Amino acid sequence: MNGLMLVARREIATQIRTRAFVIGLVVTVLLVSVVSFLPKIMGGGGDSYTLGLVNSQQLPLQTAAPDIGFEWRTYADEAAARQAVLDGDVDAALVDGARVLTDGEIDAQLGVLLQSVNREFKLGAAGVAIPPLEMRSVGADTRYESARQGVATVLVFLLFMLLMGQMVMVAMGVVEEKGSRIVEILLASVRPWQLLGGKILGLGVVGLINLVAILVVGLGAASVSGLAADFPPGMAGLMVSVLVWFVLGYAFFATLSAALASLVSRQEEVSSVLTPLTMMIMATYFVSFYVLNEPSGLLASVLSYVPPFSAMVMPVRMAAAEVPMWQTAASMAVMALAVLVVLKLGSTVYERAVLRTGARLKFGEVLRAR
Amino acid sequence: MLEIRELRKRFAGGSDAPGGKVALDGIGFSVRPGEMFGFVGANGAGKTTTMRIVMGVLQADSGSVSWQDRPLGADARQRFGYMPEERGLYQKMRVAEQIEYFGRLHGLSAPAAKKATDDLLERLGLTERRADAVQALSLGNQQRVQLAVALVHEPEVLVLDEPFSGLDPIAVDALATALQERCRGGVPVIFSSHQLELVERLCDSVGIVSAGRMVATGTVAELRAAEGDTLRVVVRDPAPGWADGLPGTVSVQGERHTLRTTGGDDQEILRRAMKAGHVEHFGVEQPTLTEIFKEAVA
Repeated sequence: MNGLMLVARREIATQIRTRAFVIGLVVTVLLVSVVSFLPKIMGGGGDSYTLGLVNSQQLPLQTAAPDIGFEWRTYADEAAARQAVLDGDVDAALVDGARVLTDGEIDAQLGVLLQSVNREFKLGAAGVAIPPLEMRSVGADTRYESARQGVATVLVFLLFMLLMGQMVMVAMGVVEEKGSRIVEILLASVRPWQLLGGKILGLGVVGLINLVAILVVGLGAASVSGLAADFPPGMAGLMVSVLVWFVLGYAFFATLSAALASLVSRQEEVSSVLTPLTMMIMATYFVSFYVLNEPSGLLASVLSYVPPFSAMVMPVRMAAAEVPMWQTAASMAVMALAVLVVLKLGSTVYERAVLRTGARLKFGEVLRAR
Repeated sequence: MLEIRELRKRFAGGSDAPGGKVALDGIGFSVRPGEMFGFVGANGAGKTTTMRIVMGVLQADSGSVSWQDRPLGADARQRFGYMPEERGLYQKMRVAEQIEYFGRLHGLSAPAAKKATDDLLERLGLTERRADAVQALSLGNQQRVQLAVALVHEPEVLVLDEPFSGLDPIAVDALATALQERCRGGVPVIFSSHQLELVERLCDSVGIVSAGRMVATGTVAELRAAEGDTLRVVVRDPAPGWADGLPGTVSVQGERHTLRTTGGDDQEILRRAMKAGHVEHFGVEQPTLTEIFKEAVA
C-alpha cells in the first residue's frame, strides 16, 4: 500500500507543478465563470419591460407576473408617449386606460399580460372577483427544463474533456516509464499493481482537483450572477453524483488506457494504440448529446445501464430529467462491476507487456500468453 | 548468503520460434556476504534473465532464490539494489527528488531518504546539480545518478547488469571503488560484464554461463587450477621438425616458433628447444579469464 501511495504522490506532485496544469486550471475556471455570467450579460433586457403611461392608472402587472420587471414612466400627452415609443424609450405606452401604443407588433408576452390584467382589473373595479385558475402538472416537472438542459450540456462536456485528458495523461506516463526503461528499476521495488494503481490514482486525483475547482467556481459564479435562481432543485446531489461518475468513468478508461499504452514503447505510438479507446469515449460523448434531447426516451433508459456509456448518459439523464434513486444506484453498480473486470484485465496485460520493449505488442496475444 | 538454485525459464515463442525459447536451463550459484561475484557469458546466455528473476522483475518457471536461508520475497528484495542493463531515469524529474523517491520506494522514511540523498550527492560530486532536471545532465553525470538510485537505501545486496558498459576508464575506476567499498562492508555484489580483465581484477569468484547453464564457477584461482597452467617456449630459428613428438601446438611467426602445451616433461622440452635453436622464452603461464571463458563455452 505504501508503494502505491508513493507512486500516486509522485504523479500528483509532478502534474500540479507543470505549467500546463496551472494554465489549464486558470483558463477553465475563467471560462466557467464567464459562462455563468453570460445569460445575465446577453439576455439583460429579456424579461423586463418599460411602459409609458398617459392619463391612466398603473395596471397590477407585477402581481400577475412576479418574475418580470416592470418600469412605468408617465408622459404628459399622447404625442410625447408616441415619441417615446418610436425612440425605443418604452416598450409600449398605455393611453387613457384604453389604447396601447407600440412600435410595430407588440411583444406577445407583454400583449397577453396587458390584455388579461386589464380585463381583470376592470372586472374587479366592477365588483366581480374571478378566482385564478389553479395550474397543476400531472406529468414530469418541466418548470426547469431549459436550466436542466443547460446544466446537462455543461456536465457532459466537462466529463468528456476530463476523462479524455486524464486518460491520455495515464497513457503518456505509462509509455514514459516503459520507453525510458525506468520501469525495470521501479518493478524491482514495487509490484506492478502498485505502479499501475498509483499512477491511475494520482492522475485521477489531479482530474478530481480540476473537476471540483470547476464545479465550485461554476456554482459560486452562478449564485453571484443570479443564474443559480433558475437551477432545478437537487443540484447538490447532482454534483456529488457527477463526482462519483467521473471516478467510475475515469477508472474504466484510464485502466484500459494504461493497458493499451503498455503495448508500445514510444510516445509517437500512443495516439494510434489509443484509437479504439478514443473512439469509444467519443461515441459515449455523442450518444450523451443525443440523449440530451430525449432524456426520458428508450435509448437513454437503456444506455444509462450499459458501461461505459452509462458514465456519461446517466449523469445527463439525471441533470435533464428526474431519475429515481434506485436506477442511479443500479447503474452505478453495473459500472463499478465493469470497472472491476477492466482492472483485472488491464493489470494483467500491463504486467505482462510493460517489460517487453521494442515492437508494438498485440492486446489479445499478451492476454492469451501464459 | 544469496543462493540461486536450478532456475529454469522458457519464454513464450512468437511466430518465429513456435516452441518458445529456453532462456535458463537450471542455472544455480551462490554469493557470500562481502563477496564480489562476476557473471560472464556471451550475449543471450541468460545473465540478464537470471538477474531479473533475482530482482523479482521476472518470474522463473521453476527453481528458487533464497537470501539468508529464506526464500527471497518482496520485503527482503526491497532492500536490494539494482541497476538494469537498460538504464532509465525520469528525464524531467529533478536529480535530488529522483534519488529521494527511489529511497522512499525502497522503504526509507522521508528524512532518511533525504539524508541519504544529500550524502550520496556529496560523494558523487553532484550537490550543485541537485535541483536540475536529469535531462540537463551530461551522460556521465546521468550514470552517476543511476548509481545513486541503486545505492540510496544502503542495499543489503547489489545486483548490477553490465554496470561498466559505456563508462570511460576514469568512471570505471570510480564505480569499481564504490562497489569494492560496499563489498568490504559485507554486501554481496553480483555484476555481469563482458570486460573480462575487469572481472578478473575485481571479482572474488566468477560464474561462466552458456546457453542458460552455469558451465564453470569458482574463484579465479580455482578456475585457473582446473584449466591448468600453460608452458610457453619461444625458439628463434630452430631446425625444421624440432618439435616432432612433443606435446602441444607450435605456431610460427617469422623465424620465431612458439610451443604451447599444458602437459609433457618440461625439462625434456627445454633440452629439445635448446638443441634446436636459440631459446628466447621459457615459462609457465596462468591462463587468463578470457582463455578460461573461451575454453568453457567452447
